[in-house]
Amino acid sequence: MKWRIQFYGLMVLLLVAGFGLAAYKVFALRMPFWPGAADLQWVVEARVAFFVDPARPESQVIASLALPDPPAREGDFRESAASLQYGFTIRDDGSGRRAVWTASGRQGPQTLYYRVAFREPEKSRERFPQVQPPPPPRPPIFDEGEDIAAREIVAEARSRSADVRSFAIEVLRRIPPDSRTPEVALLYRVYRRDRSPDEARAALAEDLFRAAGIPARRAQGVWLDESRGAQEPVPLIEVYDGSAWQVINPAEPEKPLPRQLFVWNRGGRSLIDVERAGENSRVTFTAVRELVDSRDGGTLAGAPVWAAILQSLPVSERAVFRFIIMVPIGALVVVLLRNLAGVPTLGTFMPVLIALSFSQMDSLPAALALFALVISVGLYFRFLLSRLNLLVVPRVAACVVIVTLLMVATSVASYHLGLDAGLGITLFPMIILAWTIERMSLLWDEEGAAAALGQVGGSLMVAVAAYLVMGLAVVRHWCYYFPELLLVVLAAIILLGRYTGYRLSELHRFRHFRPPA
Amino acid sequence: MKAWLRKWFIAPRQLRALGVLGLNARNGRYLLPNNPRRFYRRVDDKVLTKELAAAAGIATPPTYAVVESPAQARDFDRLVAGREDFVVKPARGSGGRGIVVVAERDGGDYVKTSGARLGPREMSWHLTNILGGLYSLGGSRDQAIVEYRVRPAPIFERISFLGVPDIRVVMFHGYPVMAMLRLATRASDGRANLHQGAVGVGIDLATGQALHAVCRNNVVSIHPDTKFPLHDVLIPGWEPLLDLATRCYEITGLGYLGVDMMVDRERGPLLIELNARPGLAIQVANHDGLEPRFQRVAAHLRALAAPEPPPVRAAFSRATFGRIHAG
Repeated sequence: MKWRIQFYGLMVLLLVAGFGLAAYKVFALRMPFWPGAADLQWVVEARVAFFVDPARPESQVIASLALPDPPAREGDFRESAASLQYGFTIRDDGSGRRAVWTASGRQGPQTLYYRVAFREPEKSRERFPQVQPPPPPRPPIFDEGEDIAAREIVAEARSRSADVRSFAIEVLRRIPPDSRTPEVALLYRVYRRDRSPDEARAALAEDLFRAAGIPARRAQGVWLDESRGAQEPVPLIEVYDGSAWQVINPAEPEKPLPRQLFVWNRGGRSLIDVERAGENSRVTFTAVRELVDSRDGGTLAGAPVWAAILQSLPVSERAVFRFIIMVPIGALVVVLLRNLAGVPTLGTFMPVLIALSFSQMDSLPAALALFALVISVGLYFRFLLSRLNLLVVPRVAACVVIVTLLMVATSVASYHLGLDAGLGITLFPMIILAWTIERMSLLWDEEGAAAALGQVGGSLMVAVAAYLVMGLAVVRHWCYYFPELLLVVLAAIILLGRYTGYRLSELHRFRHFRPPA
Repeated sequence: MKAWLRKWFIAPRQLRALGVLGLNARNGRYLLPNNPRRFYRRVDDKVLTKELAAAAGIATPPTYAVVESPAQARDFDRLVAGREDFVVKPARGSGGRGIVVVAERDGGDYVKTSGARLGPREMSWHLTNILGGLYSLGGSRDQAIVEYRVRPAPIFERISFLGVPDIRVVMFHGYPVMAMLRLATRASDGRANLHQGAVGVGIDLATGQALHAVCRNNVVSIHPDTKFPLHDVLIPGWEPLLDLATRCYEITGLGYLGVDMMVDRERGPLLIELNARPGLAIQVANHDGLEPRFQRVAAHLRALAAPEPPPVRAAFSRATFGRIHAG
């Protein structure tokens, strides 16, 4: 009896905690319970990292980051900064806003965060009018050989262009980072130093424009694209066309600036400055789409930490949790299909891992085909291996190598065939696949092909079911914005653990127990 | 739709009425509460099982050797010098996996009961596989037992195809509750696992008389290969067999236990292995559910002041669960 009280007490506790917290968030914090009921906003996080050398006598650190201009409409732009024990202010020095962090007595690696949320822009802003023309640019200093090369490129571009924009396009076309032309290669020899190829192109282009007498300056952008994860700032370039500054992406000068490319910093300011003791500074950006309640403008950013657990993490970590938080759902599907339906699987939670790797690939049929390919080719090699009479662990290890090579081969082959699907295969859990092949071949030997295929089929069925459930927009929404509902999942799993009724498969297995009619 | 459902599935209500035990119920209600984890080693490690059995005076096939190292596996020929026939089995194997029955030797080769030959190198490879844990639970390192090959009593030789028939008794807290005879078939490749196509014959606990027989879930009246009429089977020496099974409770302490035995033509009943997770197929072979019998034992235990010794328990089971009354 006591046991029963404890058991149901735990159930009630889990359900109340899970549903209670979710209800509080829905009714008090007005978080939308259903996906689609709210707007999505882009949250871009800048992560500034630098190093403070403990040997330096100066102990003060001042770090500043150029910030994007807020749009005209108020309320669409929310910013916050997170940095332990740093003083934080936002200053406007006339050329634009800057986030400034100050601290003293810090040592070792330092990380500062600045986060901004805004609505998805309808179109990119690439023209910034300026009535007062800037002063003519100071020409860059080239040595003799460089000067000849630069003149040649500028002259060629000028002869084929009509205005500033087309001139810029012509110049950028002539200086691809992988150019083999002697003049360009000569120029890049200097610009490549300490720079990535894209940065070098932007720097060289800026100087070439200046050499041609066109006001130009560097700018930085961020891709509004979740799949990129942490990204380096995209080097952009601004040229003055007589009435406005035009922002150009040097990688695609002909095209208008894509909507997903958000101009973070313009106006020729430096993106980050770390003064005094800091060194080796670096900034990376992460962009995610987040839910923001559109009804009353309340944001998750303003919610207490316990209510927006995952949203309180740095943006760069959230992407990982979006993935991890789905694992319990997969586990629940496995419990349901094994203990209620009695589907046979190879390895208990292997299907969840397979489902997770499926979810990283765009199309399910392609994922299934690749899985079947890897398993069947792996099985073939495993049968070849069995003739060598290898010991167990080396044999499975050999299988891991074969599976890995197979994945490399499929990726390379599908890339060269122009099939994107093959690239996602890299996320297949290799060790699990190797064990699956090993177990399957043992089953094949001992109980025949039917049993082996049955269990693999069962595993795949569970994996596909888990994949489909984990892919439901509603499930993803609940898991990510209401992680406390996992307590409810826990309660359900514990309850299922106490289920001692028949499995569906047993109703089939024991069907002959029917009394003769 | 409904007819289709009825053809392939039975209603849970009907199964419950018969007291048929499902896997969830077996694990949740009988296995987990009655089998303390720490005792599992006593049944999962056959070397230990045999030691415990020997100490309790329970007959098992004599052990010729235990192979523990790859060096011994390479030197296997010398280890079995002078033995014409024997059985090699993994100490921690289950479900008959990894067992090789050598019926005779021909030059350096080992000839299995099926007539298939194993060269000395194949044999030592098989042994290193056993040692490497290929057949053991969880893949942990293992030992290989080389032991006496049971020669079936003549009656069994006529019924079974290849392999020696084995007798499984399911015990609940030391009381036999159900028994079956398992007969290898051509389809099961000499192994006695029902899901591999062996014949399961439900056995009356009181007399050792066959009650009901199934093969691949279908009721059969004759053995598919030997054509032996299964309803005529009467296991000789049933009483000592049941006594042997009953005494196994004391050496394991497991409330829910499967005892596998064979009858040797010279040595009589021998304990082959114990199982802490006996399967549910015995219900199909007996066409009866386990659960009411478990509950009958539980009720009996509650009414008892002191634990009963094995012979009394066996007598209780024969009187309570026997369906045919001798004489």
